[in-house]
Amino acid sequence: MNVVVCVKQVPDTESVIKVKPDGSDIITDDLKYVMNPYDEYGVEEALQIKEKFGGSVTILCMGPSRVVETIRTGLAMGADKAIHLDDPALEGGDAFATAKALAEALKGIEYDLVLCGKQAVDDDLSQTGQTLAELLGFPHASLIQKLEIADDNKSATVHCQVEGGLAVLDVSLPAVLTTQKGLNEPRYASLPGIMKAKKKPLDTKDLAALGLSADSVGCAGSKTIITKMTPPPERAAGKVIEGEGPQETVPKLVQLLREEAKVI
Amino acid sequence: MNIASYTILGIPNFVLLTIAIIAALVFFVNRVRHLYIVLRIGKEDDRFKEPGERIKAVLKRILLQICVLKDVTRNDLAGIGHATIFYGFLCFAFSYIFMFARGFIPGLSFHLLGGAFAHYFPLILDIAGLLVMTAVIWGLTRRYIVKPPRLELSLEAVLILGWIFSLMLFHFIMEGFEINTDPHEMPTLAFMGAAFAGFFANIETTTQEALFVASWWIHVLLVLGFMVLIPYSKHLHLLLAPFNIYFKSREPKGALVPILDMEEAETFGVCNIEEYTWKQLLDLYCCAHCGRCDINCPAYLSEKPLSPKDLLNDLKVHLLEKASFLLENKNGGDEETKEYEGPSLIGDVISEDKIWACVTCGSCIEQCPVCNEHVQKIIDMRRYLVLMESKFPSEVQVVFKNMENNSNPWGIGWATRADWAKDLGVKIMSDDSDVDILYWVGCAGSFDERNKKISTSLVNIFNKAGVNFGILGAEEKCCGDSARRIGNEYLFQMLAMETIEILKNYNVKKIVTQCPHCFNTLKNEYPQFGGDFEVVHTTEFIMDLIEKGKLKLTKPIDKTVAYHDSCYLGRYNAIYDAPRKILEGIPGINIVEMDRNRNKSMCCGAGGGRMWMEEHLGKRINEMRLQDALDANPNMVCTACPYCLTMFEDAIKEKGVEESLAGKDIVELVEEATA
Ligand code: SF4
Ligand code: SF4
Repeated sequence: MNVVVCVKQVPDTESVIKVKPDGSDIITDDLKYVMNPYDEYGVEEALQIKEKFGGSVTILCMGPSRVVETIRTGLAMGADKAIHLDDPALEGGDAFATAKALAEALKGIEYDLVLCGKQAVDDDLSQTGQTLAELLGFPHASLIQKLEIADDNKSATVHCQVEGGLAVLDVSLPAVLTTQKGLNEPRYASLPGIMKAKKKPLDTKDLAALGLSADSVGCAGSKTIITKMTPPPERAAGKVIEGEGPQETVPKLVQLLREEAKVI
Repeated sequence: MNIASYTILGIPNFVLLTIAIIAALVFFVNRVRHLYIVLRIGKEDDRFKEPGERIKAVLKRILLQICVLKDVTRNDLAGIGHATIFYGFLCFAFSYIFMFARGFIPGLSFHLLGGAFAHYFPLILDIAGLLVMTAVIWGLTRRYIVKPPRLELSLEAVLILGWIFSLMLFHFIMEGFEINTDPHEMPTLAFMGAAFAGFFANIETTTQEALFVASWWIHVLLVLGFMVLIPYSKHLHLLLAPFNIYFKSREPKGALVPILDMEEAETFGVCNIEEYTWKQLLDLYCCAHCGRCDINCPAYLSEKPLSPKDLLNDLKVHLLEKASFLLENKNGGDEETKEYEGPSLIGDVISEDKIWACVTCGSCIEQCPVCNEHVQKIIDMRRYLVLMESKFPSEVQVVFKNMENNSNPWGIGWATRADWAKDLGVKIMSDDSDVDILYWVGCAGSFDERNKKISTSLVNIFNKAGVNFGILGAEEKCCGDSARRIGNEYLFQMLAMETIEILKNYNVKKIVTQCPHCFNTLKNEYPQFGGDFEVVHTTEFIMDLIEKGKLKLTKPIDKTVAYHDSCYLGRYNAIYDAPRKILEGIPGINIVEMDRNRNKSMCCGAGGGRMWMEEHLGKRINEMRLQDALDANPNMVCTACPYCLTMFEDAIKEKGVEESLAGKDIVELVEEATA
């Protein structure tokens, strides 16, 4: 089984996010970048598949040179090789433009399965995996929490999280699956793993190598345009309802829930 | 009586004696040689520098018997017994030279060293013998009737004590016969000998002569047997403790041994016994099973699977079991290395639960009379588990990630590190680095709600005393103490090197830390990576401010306070007095001591990275320590460590004693007293 894991580098969730004054983007100066946590489940699952069936694990990642650190994290965990899509023209793309570049990068390499995190925790779009499957023409299942590959490696049974329950699906392979929390516990890279990662093959491709034109990817190739970013409104302070015992406070609470919060 | 020329079955006595000595030496030397060869399997360890200091330590610990006398308490007087036997034995060891020599040289006696010596030495021997016998009986009574918790009821102990007792007894018997057969040789001062002589007085002279030779022989055989017994038993410490003390680490107590060639090395930590250094293996030989380490080990006391004594002994048994395999493989040379099929070090010999139970409080090292160094051995195994296998309690992974991504174990955004000081007008080094003191806040002081208050108090104290200080703000990172002690040397070194770089850039000279863990790491471990700064703990710094008259403790605090010694302040850095003196200087405060205090203080349970692990096994260490405090009857426990405070306050809440007992950091008390 050869598995490709699409990985995105995102700001650490604890980062203090500030929007540029003109609202065009966020300020990235002081950000600490990490691997998108949902992608970590993908990497771990791929490694477990490799441990069981053999084969290889490839990390596929798009972004400027800083994303190499994230790629190395995946390699340190145990992936065998990586493809890095690095071209200024790729920047600023939405899920569609990104999926397009990823799909192009997958051409010409052999794989049986593509794993993506269910969404990236920066823009939370949750579309890249699905779009990628469409572009590749492969079956797709999202939010998987369990993955069982058939012994012949031709199909898989997946458990997907759906509203209020669990969907159990059989998919034929190759397929694109997006991974969700609960699938596994991503491993912590061992030190020999970290050291070896520095020497593992990393194939960097620019636009020309991908064979794509600049207007079909990145900002130019996107179907959506970010017109303005604004920080969410500051959360108002909580309210303490004063009063003697529940007889007094409960009616007040009900009144507030009805009139101010408008939830009942 | 001329023993040298006596014959038994026609064979001259000296021939028989020669045979006996050679036989004993064969056993003795063989065993010692084997132990030595096995020891040499261990890795390199440079323990030879500063020989003068090393010799001093040996003399002090052994000749003065500080090794055991240092922890004589009302409840544990065993050290006195040990010293008695030790000194008694020294006298006898000297007399044995004569005893053996008499077997070869006719007419040899104490007179050789002068009349006075011949006159008084037998008296000294008799007194010594009597004292040793008393000590032995007392020791046996203690061990088998009183049964102190630290001692095991081993047969070996009875054998050895019985042996020593017999040695003394046969000395008296021999003396008795000698007085009767050769009266001019023996002075009357040997009162025990005289008593026995009186006892044997009615036996015929020739029989007495034969009995004298017999008792001499038994005595000789007992001595030779004892010599053979030593290297086969826990009494190996008799032979090796001086070496162990000599080779004791001369690095700061609080510094773990660094992994220096991290980029080049292929394996990290220890998962095979032969990966320990020879000194670490020597420790195993030297353990005397005295249990002093156990009865002060918080892991052991709280019923975790770890016992530092058993740890060493299980390692020793494993080492000797694996030795033949190792020696064979070592000499085998070109043959491909075979897999060892016996038990694995981690898992079979030492379970992972034991490895994770240690709070690295250092009490075992502190109490050990033969200067064994337990903690590094545990850390070495942790290093293997963490760095090679990524195996550790699952809750630790997020802690590592938090330290990697946000430079603090809580994982709170690193950019908010100095938010606690926002409204306090504290200088941030990146804005203004013209300061006398760098206040190293630490992760707890920066992010933990309770401890942020203490940082604020400290800032107020600094301002009151007119200290020109600054903080690193968002540039400060976790010092790496927990990472290192959990075994993640890689993460630790990353954090340490980044910080050293920053500190050097600001040309920092003097650092004040509030957290003893930061204090120990910066002071004792950063020099390993070129970070040489003057580091002082707040308690020392405040004491200094008080002495210089810059701070005045005027406002009374009417409380009965028990001060809890943090391991990394006390045991590891010997700061016991500064905090106590500060408290004594606060009017109104009445200080009480817990039973376990100063170097016998018990860890709060958070050291060694245990702060970040669940406590699934045994009793809760922090609740046990709280009980220590409650027993001293204070209405306030005072700490000087953010972890200790957290652990105490958790225990106070858990036990519901908030009404009667408060937890405070010493900094808060100082702030209050200077208000
Ligand atoms: S360091 Fe403390 S917890 Fe660890 S073995 Fe020694 S005494 Fe026990
Ligand atoms: S390690 Fe030291 S303190 Fe512990 S039992 Fe052995 S000799 Fe005693």
